[in-house]
Amino acid sequence: MSQSPQAEPILDATHVAFMTTGVSINVAARDAHNIPTLTRALGCRVSPDRRTVTLFVAVPDAARLLDNLRINGAIAAVFSQPSTHHTIQLKGADARVVERQPDDPVVFENFIVTLAADLAHYGWVESYVRAMLGHDDDNIVAVAFTPYAAFNQTPGPAAGAPLATLSKP
Amino acid sequence: MTLTIDSIRDCFDGAIPGLIATCSADGVPNVSYVSEVHYMDSEHLALTFQFFSKTRENVLANPFVTVMLLQPHTAAKFRIALRYLRTETEGPLFERMKAKLAGIASHSGMSGVFVLRGADVYRVLSLERVPGRTLPPPPSPINMLSALRLCTQGLAHAADLDQLIDETLSSLQRHCDIRHAMLLMYDEPGKRLYTVASRGYEVSGVGSEIAMGDGVIGVCARERTPIRLTHTTSDYVYGRAIRESAAQAGFADRLETEIPFPGLAAPGSELAVPLTLGSRLLGVLFVESAEEMRFGYDDEDLLVALAGQLSMAIHILQSSPDVHEEKAAPPKRVPAAGPAIPIRYYPADSSVFIGENYLIKGVAGAIFWKLVRDYEREGRTEFSNRELRLDPSIRLPDIADNLEARLILLTRRLAERSNELGIEKTGRGRFRLRVAGAVKPVEIAGSVR
Repeated sequence: MSQSPQAEPILDATHVAFMTTGVSINVAARDAHNIPTLTRALGCRVSPDRRTVTLFVAVPDAARLLDNLRINGAIAAVFSQPSTHHTIQLKGADARVVERQPDDPVVFENFIVTLAADLAHYGWVESYVRAMLGHDDDNIVAVAFTPYAAFNQTPGPAAGAPLATLSKP
Repeated sequence: MTLTIDSIRDCFDGAIPGLIATCSADGVPNVSYVSEVHYMDSEHLALTFQFFSKTRENVLANPFVTVMLLQPHTAAKFRIALRYLRTETEGPLFERMKAKLAGIASHSGMSGVFVLRGADVYRVLSLERVPGRTLPPPPSPINMLSALRLCTQGLAHAADLDQLIDETLSSLQRHCDIRHAMLLMYDEPGKRLYTVASRGYEVSGVGSEIAMGDGVIGVCARERTPIRLTHTTSDYVYGRAIRESAAQAGFADRLETEIPFPGLAAPGSELAVPLTLGSRLLGVLFVESAEEMRFGYDDEDLLVALAGQLSMAIHILQSSPDVHEEKAAPPKRVPAAGPAIPIRYYPADSSVFIGENYLIKGVAGAIFWKLVRDYEREGRTEFSNRELRLDPSIRLPDIADNLEARLILLTRRLAERSNELGIEKTGRGRFRLRVAGAVKPVEIAGSVR
């Protein structure tokens, strides 16, 4: 199900910018009986070639998700900007736990600050967003996958369509 | 303490959209936002079905889903495993969710996009609190149970419908900090609701009417179910479409539109609760606030419990027999000072004008006309409810005549609209017409004014 190395990556630069700044990220996996589980992610990195997406989740919150990924690697991740409802969903079949990088905390902090700024649109305060996303750094695990499909999921008539380039807000 | 669905009901108030994970038959997971997760009972939740989406496709193929919700104020997260049971596309649950979704859509700039196709009912399989940081919950300003107790104690002391209604609205102010409220009674033959009392508005709006199915109040009445909006929306603003819906129902000419409906210009939250006896609708208790998210599930429970007590109290008062009394001798007619008060009556819709001021129409108008005519002919000022019930000119419906409610309406309209005329209660089932001078009643036959 993965892309061949020659194919153009599914994500372009606009998608990468969208996925890494001021969005809410939620991740689903499923067990051997197709029972889904769900976890909130704490940040996102995309590789320079835009073929690998790395998401951060915390244990013990994500324990079941990680168990499922170890068994079958099937993952769905939704990225949504609260103020605009712009939403995209990625699918992967090869999700696995990968090594953390030294500057990950910078990614987490940037994620919290930009999401809090967007949620301020609805009157949310940063302390709430910090409680929602706050975890001890030692508990945070990196999960990487190769997106094989991507969809626009912004509510409306185009929801469910394959992803097109995002227009700049 | 075991975590239960009942203990996290504030997660279901639609403040923060939930998330749903589903899985296709061939094992591809999917995540989607869900605008509204509705609490039904401790074992059932209902989710909005808005789009023919991947989620929908998956749920129909594989009924096991996981929902994640965030608690307002504390940021606590909860994961709930659910199993899809059925979809409802009409009825009380559907209407409650439709109204709430309209409010949520309006609040989030999604009016016209968020449309309820169905209420998907799920059984709760398990509930877990997701480990993570939280904020301390805010203190609860009101203990709902003791507030309910104080409110119901107040009702027990009401001697008549007038006191009962006043006590209800005062109790809500005093014990529940609900500052804008109104009580409407149901006119069954006319298929509409009329306001008999209100609190917290510049004008009382007593006598104003709402068609069945119109706005929060009309939908609550039609479906006999509470309708609660945590964010209000123009879709459910009362009165906006009164003329249209009345015209559709074929009684636009009969709906009271002379008296403006009371209500906040920009409500943030609204809650309407039906007053019922079995399947019979008595009226609607409506409260609102300028604040968004003002009324939660607990407030709804309190009002539903109070409405149950109120309905029973109304029933008991209406069932108590009228006092049979000999007609009192007519008092001496008070010599008229100054010019006679002109009173016009239009029998086509039983509307009444005192001078140039519109008073009321319908049953209350017919009652007033009888009182004025009897006063003019016989000098009578003392009347009984019983004789009104027996008077064919008033045309009260046989069952559930709501005479007391009509008299309250008439009394309050007179108090608001006339210095020269009024109604005073003189005992149970008896009252006096207060007239400052001579009257000059004129009946204007023919078409509606």
